[in-house]
Amino acid sequence: MIDVFSYVPAIVLLPFFSFLVALGGGKYLPKGGAFGGIAATAGSFLLSLWVLATVAGGQVANRTIYTWASAGGIGPTDVELSFGILVDPLSALMLVIVTLVALLVHVFSLGYMNDEGETGLPRYYAGLGLFTASMLGFVVADNLLMAFMFFELVGLCSYLLIGFHFREPGPPSAAKKAFLVTRFGDYFFLIGVVAVLATFGTAQFAGPESFPALAEAGEVAWTPGGLALDTWFTIVGLLVLGGVVGKSAQFPLHTWLPDAMEGPTPVSALIHAATMVAAGVYLVARMYGFYALSPTALAVIAFIGGFTALFAATMGVVKDELKQVLAYSTISQYGYMMLALGAGGYVAAVFHLTTHAFFKALLFLGAGSVIIAMHHNEDMWDMGGLKSKLPVTYYTFLAGSLALAGIFPFAGFWSKDEILYEALVHAPGEPLLFGGYLMGLLAVPVTAFYTFRMVFLTFHGEPRSATARDPEPVRWNVKGPLTVLGSLAVVTGFINMVPVQKVLGIEGIDLLHLWLDNHWGGIEGLSSHHYADLGPYSSEYLVGGEVGTVLVGAAVSLGLALAGLGLAWRLYGVPSPTEHTAKLGGIKDVLYNNYYLDELQVWLAYRTEDVAGVANVFDQGIIDGVVNGVSSVSLFGGNRIRRIQSGVVSQYTALLTLGLVALVLVLGVTGGWFL
Amino acid sequence: MTAVAASIPPSWYLLLAATMFCVGLLGVLTRRSALYFLMSVELMMNAANINFVAFALYYGDLTGQVFALFVIALAAAEVAIGIGIILVLYRNFGVTDVTVPTEMRW
Repeated sequence: MIDVFSYVPAIVLLPFFSFLVALGGGKYLPKGGAFGGIAATAGSFLLSLWVLATVAGGQVANRTIYTWASAGGIGPTDVELSFGILVDPLSALMLVIVTLVALLVHVFSLGYMNDEGETGLPRYYAGLGLFTASMLGFVVADNLLMAFMFFELVGLCSYLLIGFHFREPGPPSAAKKAFLVTRFGDYFFLIGVVAVLATFGTAQFAGPESFPALAEAGEVAWTPGGLALDTWFTIVGLLVLGGVVGKSAQFPLHTWLPDAMEGPTPVSALIHAATMVAAGVYLVARMYGFYALSPTALAVIAFIGGFTALFAATMGVVKDELKQVLAYSTISQYGYMMLALGAGGYVAAVFHLTTHAFFKALLFLGAGSVIIAMHHNEDMWDMGGLKSKLPVTYYTFLAGSLALAGIFPFAGFWSKDEILYEALVHAPGEPLLFGGYLMGLLAVPVTAFYTFRMVFLTFHGEPRSATARDPEPVRWNVKGPLTVLGSLAVVTGFINMVPVQKVLGIEGIDLLHLWLDNHWGGIEGLSSHHYADLGPYSSEYLVGGEVGTVLVGAAVSLGLALAGLGLAWRLYGVPSPTEHTAKLGGIKDVLYNNYYLDELQVWLAYRTEDVAGVANVFDQGIIDGVVNGVSSVSLFGGNRIRRIQSGVVSQYTALLTLGLVALVLVLGVTGGWFL
Repeated sequence: MTAVAASIPPSWYLLLAATMFCVGLLGVLTRRSALYFLMSVELMMNAANINFVAFALYYGDLTGQVFALFVIALAAAEVAIGIGIILVLYRNFGVTDVTVPTEMRW
């Protein structure tokens, strides 16, 4: 019997080796080390499939591989800091998603980077390899501290890849912004990690000695100042949430994500679909047993999510650049996932994470294909009529857009509908959650509108520039990934047809529900039912009981999506579309400038300059002062004391004698000779 | 002879040795000529030898006398090296005054 779980570290290490190979020898390899990356991610993907099959067979793993530090904690227990793997249905699913998207992005990069004659390819493929490896390490992490480390590595890689074209002015600045803004959130996350370790003496995710289990049992080693457990759990949960808000680009730390479009398009696909942005939501899902204990934290998550979903969607409406629209759609869709998590819809959130990973990777790669065809012009007003020139791109992109807009029966419809349903049935009596639900519902037509505005402007109508009339063709390495993802965007929704099951009463077609509920085996305490039991919510149905609510909810969201689509068709589905944004008047400027949030953040940065100044004085004066003081004291002392080395032997003798006499005197006095 | 030596109390030997040591030390501290240094060091070593031999007699044990022999051999070697140093000193500076060469310092 081969133990598949002993190969789990290899899933993480294979892309890491491709990083080393591309970095060290990429110059001497064909295609700048691309094949190493493709082979590594393909290997990881196959191993992940094997792991998925094994988990489906009822086996799971929760092991510590290496303990790198152990010490006495604040409480009675020892704190052990370790690396380990946790493979349960959730992480096995995520492994497959991440490795598949990474593999397709690597293949696509052959077309987008190599064929376009980019320079610095070894650096690019090294970055992709490390990015994939860090995300995979984050996915299999069995404790919060390890997760934090890989979380930071993911942030570092995003910095390296967003700033890939470092000779232009935009990318380095966007990279710095992404790094700093997410780091601001990670700062709270770090405090949260320390708080968890101090409170429970462990940061394990799973098992009877894990921190969610201890929190559930109320066994804490320490709380600050006799705070009530509930309050303290809420505070810790919100601290960790800081990192999530930063990485998953939730309001108000979403500003880095649109700027991150400066990176190469395949990188955007990787960031948005499978790695960095997904990391935040995955983290909440990973420690959901802890969040479920705190109604306040859940409500905050739901409200932030719903607000972000609507807020980002409105900004997507006025953007002119293809990738900008997609960027805001990503923020908005992750808002939905947060709404689901906050509403107690653990499965719905993971479902949307899965479907979104596929259709958003598809949309970004499709956009990449359009950008190749358009000679790197991203302005949608220069496009038009690409439908007949790029049929493969068009039909796959359309599938992705239908999924994003939530049109039946594409993947996004099922997951978004389930999110709204979960929010709706849990909302009565929860004002924050209800607010989140309303905003999420409002975002549905907006999403459909901007998605199809994008589709119509890009692919339909008359070509509006010379490049659009004669676009550059794309090769198999672009079409291949698009086709795979296009098929997935159509069918992924069928893994979890809850509405059909509820309405028609067919049992067993809600595969993802069963999967996450440990139907085929899993780890005790990490099942969706357990989370539902822990959570504060009870379900209340509208007219017609459960079936009626399902039908009404689905009909409303589908109707709203179709309305948005129809409006986009009406306005932009014409041969020569014109800008209609001027009708919005002043609102257009506000939307176009992202609600002036960037300006607000810069203003805040200037207002808090004094704080930074004080911190600077503390750092330079106290911290550096101590270090410099020690060195200057020894320097000065040495400078003075060396003067007694005069070179005159007699003086040395005299000192020697004096020293001896002094020694004898001291020994004499302490030894009691003279008493 | 042994009987006479043994009849003297050990403190006298110790006083003699201490006096000799101090005379030697004083020579080292006050004199400038390197040759005086050598002689003074010789005095200090022999002061130590007196102690060794006196205690050997007092305890009826030969160990101290063996040590004294070693110290005498050591003193011979030390004088040989010391004279060599003094020769080099004289060749380089034309004096045997130890306060003149002060190159070896900070």
